[in-house]
Amino acid sequence: MKLKHALTIASATDAGLVRNFNEDSVTADEDSGLVVLADGMGGYKAGDVASGMATMIIGNELKEKFAKGVGKSNGVDLETELLRDAVSRANQAIYHAAHNKTQFQGMGTTVVITLFRDNIVTIAHVGDSRLYRLRNDKLEQLTVDHSLLQEQVQLGLISTEDARVSHNRNLVTRALGVNQTIAVDVRQERSQPGDIYLLCSDGLNDMVDDADIELAMVSIKENIPLLVQQLVLMANDNGGHDNISVAAIKVEKPFPLRTGFFSRWFSAHA
Amino acid sequence: MAKLVLSLNGSVIGNYFLEKERFSIGRKPTCDIQINDQGVSKEHVVILTVGNDQILEDLGSTNGTQVNGQDTKRQILQNGDVIEVGRYRVKFVSQKAMPDMDFDKTLMIPAFDRTKLRQEEADKRGPDTESISTAVANARNVKTIFPLGAVHGISGELAGQEIELVRAITALGKPGSSAIISRRPAGYFITHVAGKKHPIVNGKSIGDSPFPLDNLDQLEVGLDKLQFYLK
Repeated sequence: MKLKHALTIASATDAGLVRNFNEDSVTADEDSGLVVLADGMGGYKAGDVASGMATMIIGNELKEKFAKGVGKSNGVDLETELLRDAVSRANQAIYHAAHNKTQFQGMGTTVVITLFRDNIVTIAHVGDSRLYRLRNDKLEQLTVDHSLLQEQVQLGLISTEDARVSHNRNLVTRALGVNQTIAVDVRQERSQPGDIYLLCSDGLNDMVDDADIELAMVSIKENIPLLVQQLVLMANDNGGHDNISVAAIKVEKPFPLRTGFFSRWFSAHA
Repeated sequence: MAKLVLSLNGSVIGNYFLEKERFSIGRKPTCDIQINDQGVSKEHVVILTVGNDQILEDLGSTNGTQVNGQDTKRQILQNGDVIEVGRYRVKFVSQKAMPDMDFDKTLMIPAFDRTKLRQEEADKRGPDTESISTAVANARNVKTIFPLGAVHGISGELAGQEIELVRAITALGKPGSSAIISRRPAGYFITHVAGKKHPIVNGKSIGDSPFPLDNLDQLEVGLDKLQFYLK
């Protein structure tokens, strides 16, 4: 099964109504089942450089490794290591650029990644860009923000309701390019046909309530390119204060890695 | 109540309370603030009040509108914002619109070095923590300044039924032949989602683009015939 026959992928990015330029970056590669979304920060246009470096380096790194052949999955750890290494490499590149060029000083970026392989989605993230999943028409957030707001809630300092009016929504506690090493959250989920995965920058989820994100995904699940456009539109209709990026992946069919005769025979008789 | 303080060259000329839902500034005598200045368009800018929000909208003015020195077409005003219209300055004052929404992403300067957090800790902390909804309180609903819309089923599965178009999106049709009506600040729009047959409005297929709806438009989605109206 070729991945591009099993997955429908669409993405959109927009500066929003208030910002003059877009510091988000998104890349999607149907052949390797990889989607990377990054939200840059810091300095005049430097955020754009940081997010662009993140998506490009992570994308290229993984494509190269897949081209060389990463071999069969040695258990569930292979994809986790691949993503962790790629994020680490991007982090170091951004860190060095930020520390060697004055115009890039202080730049950094969030990142959220999905890698679809062998009926498993591997999810990695740093910062407050998110991954949601719609399954059986129910929306679920699969990432936990690395933000001061999230920490305050976890520490019980404020309620989840207060979070809506907090001044701290945009203070991230982890980002690529700030330190030489980076702690990445990675998790794996078994995917199911019908699932829709949604990566987004906070320009979406700060502007559009989760209930309305769910409503859009349920109403437009038959048209993924329209879905991403509609979500950007909704964020802008609600004010469009920040750059808005979204990428959606719909799992149309299972995508087992091995499709040889024996594995087909075994799965048919399992 | 929110107010505007009009000044020219540092001298205050007047105070205006935003008592109306739509408050206009321009060269025309019918504007709520009339400014006789060649750099100001006839209808230069409006401020719409929706709940606690004041939304500034440049009406396609020749010289544009600046808020705090930045060109703007449309934005929600924050307490203390300075709007520039021609040579005049208009200060926006509202205790209900404190700039509590700082959307400039900033990296927190950590009290302790959080990035030294060990990988295992990161893994442990990841999946099991509570997720929170960050959508700002006043961005939860589409701000509309027109009456509520609804569709009435004429024939098909929705015959005799009325659906109020309250939410941002209302889905119509069924799997394989579907459309949405979206509620937007400028009005209602119908958009084709899936199926060979595109929705039909007043006898004409709408194609792939969102199509603005007018009161009493006749809609066809799949086998359902509906009428759109504003309540």
